[in-house]
Amino acid sequence: MSAVAEETAGAGYIRVEGLSVSYDGVTPAVTDLDMEVRKGEFVAVLGPSGCGKSTLLHVMSGVMRPQAGRIEIGGHAVGGSAAADSPPIGYVFQDHRLLSWRTVGQNIAIVLQAAGVSAEEINERIDRYLEMLHIDGFRDTWPMRLSGGQRQRVSIARALALQPAVVLMDEPFSTLDEVTARLMRQQLAELWQESGHTIVFVTHSIREALFLADRIYILTKGPARVFDVAEVPIERPRRYEDPKLTELEGEIVDRVLGVWGIGGKP
Amino acid sequence: MTEGPKGLARALRMRGGASWLDLVLGAAGLGSLVLLWWVGSRTTTFVPGIGEVFSALPQFLTQEEIWPDVLATVRRVFGALAIAMVAGFLAAYVMHRGGLWGMVVERYVSIMLGIPSTIAALLALFIFKRSEVGVYFVVSIITFPFVALTLLQGLRAADRRLDEMAAAYRLPTMAHARHVAAPHLIPYTFAALRNEYAHAWKVVVLAELFAVNTGMGARFARAFDRFLLVDAMLWLIVFMVILLGTEYLLLLPAERRVLRWRGSGKEAPA
Repeated sequence: MSAVAEETAGAGYIRVEGLSVSYDGVTPAVTDLDMEVRKGEFVAVLGPSGCGKSTLLHVMSGVMRPQAGRIEIGGHAVGGSAAADSPPIGYVFQDHRLLSWRTVGQNIAIVLQAAGVSAEEINERIDRYLEMLHIDGFRDTWPMRLSGGQRQRVSIARALALQPAVVLMDEPFSTLDEVTARLMRQQLAELWQESGHTIVFVTHSIREALFLADRIYILTKGPARVFDVAEVPIERPRRYEDPKLTELEGEIVDRVLGVWGIGGKP
Repeated sequence: MTEGPKGLARALRMRGGASWLDLVLGAAGLGSLVLLWWVGSRTTTFVPGIGEVFSALPQFLTQEEIWPDVLATVRRVFGALAIAMVAGFLAAYVMHRGGLWGMVVERYVSIMLGIPSTIAALLALFIFKRSEVGVYFVVSIITFPFVALTLLQGLRAADRRLDEMAAAYRLPTMAHARHVAAPHLIPYTFAALRNEYAHAWKVVVLAELFAVNTGMGARFARAFDRFLLVDAMLWLIVFMVILLGTEYLLLLPAERRVLRWRGSGKEAPA
């Protein structure tokens, strides 16, 4: 285990140990990565574009298998033989990944059915989470009729309605305009405070990570490794224009300048 | 006062996406055909007049003996098309999987696409003699390569990102097939069905002309042999009405209903 992982060891709900991933078996996308996330914690994973952040989430969700290392969520090994018994995971992708041929309500219902939720409970949860995401009038709407922001809200509602142990979010607001993205970040922070989900949020935006997260895992330029872990000692609710947030942003920029290959050593 | 071309287009647009312009163009197309028929009847001795044919139509339609032949043709078209759709899907799936069998089926489909329908029909009818099986075989074998190619495009255009989503949410195989894979293929299935529907009608009638004693093609041939040109025209009208009627009153509305999720594609405000 690396020094970073040792520092953060404790009651880790998500434990990532020595993770190495490669798409072609030769070129590594993630290498010897360690990480721990406490239950109910909001952790951001920060790294430059193309560094392997999304790959990390793919492996954490069980969609991809690593070449080496292991991931445990709530004591269950991800991708192991007992994967079906492991706690459900909500996944919000960079693009909404809704089924165009199913209504908003049906898109949510499908994942709940797969998780074995009863029909009555599905119905109730759809209403509750659509209302929570401020899209309660769109239950019977086709995704193509929605705006980009509304589709991403549905995607978040789908992930949360599963009442998952962990929510993985892969730059979910990066394709939205800045005003919508800010509103969504604000609402996500509020939702997290109400629900207490464990969230792993991947982003390349330092300010977004600082605004949302308790801790930030800063990755190297690809292949992804943990370069540093930053605590975010700003009280909630946070403001996007908070001067303290700007100050921390400057500190992180200084730290990553050389490592991300923007200046100094590559 | 005026809203310009956009306003005009909006005013012309009718419920369900069709427009007055479509109707006008459709009527113009039909009108030109009638005009050609009229010119043909006036300048030749073998094309019967429009009035002569339409005055014979009510009596023709009340003849009980024509309907078994109409039903026989309809049954052959739908039966053979169903076989072609299943065979086309299986061929597309094997081609999509690749490997040796994928290559074999791909070559076979390419060869079948290159053989003219008439030649294939005649060859198959020689093999199967004058049997009902021969008609089904001919129509299926001629139309399935087109179905296979269209469905192959669909399989190749499958969205891997949705497969990842399904895997992340642990959708079982059946749920994946029902909610992700099959709906993605539906637009391609309809495209194949609508294209090959008209093709199947033409091939069935062609096969009936040569091979069997029942069906609209056989009746058309009989009328032609006896130089009953009014009857031949009446059979042609019945053929076109059934073909276009089922296309526009059955297939097109069904396609619109199943693919209603496509909507206008216009985004709502954020």
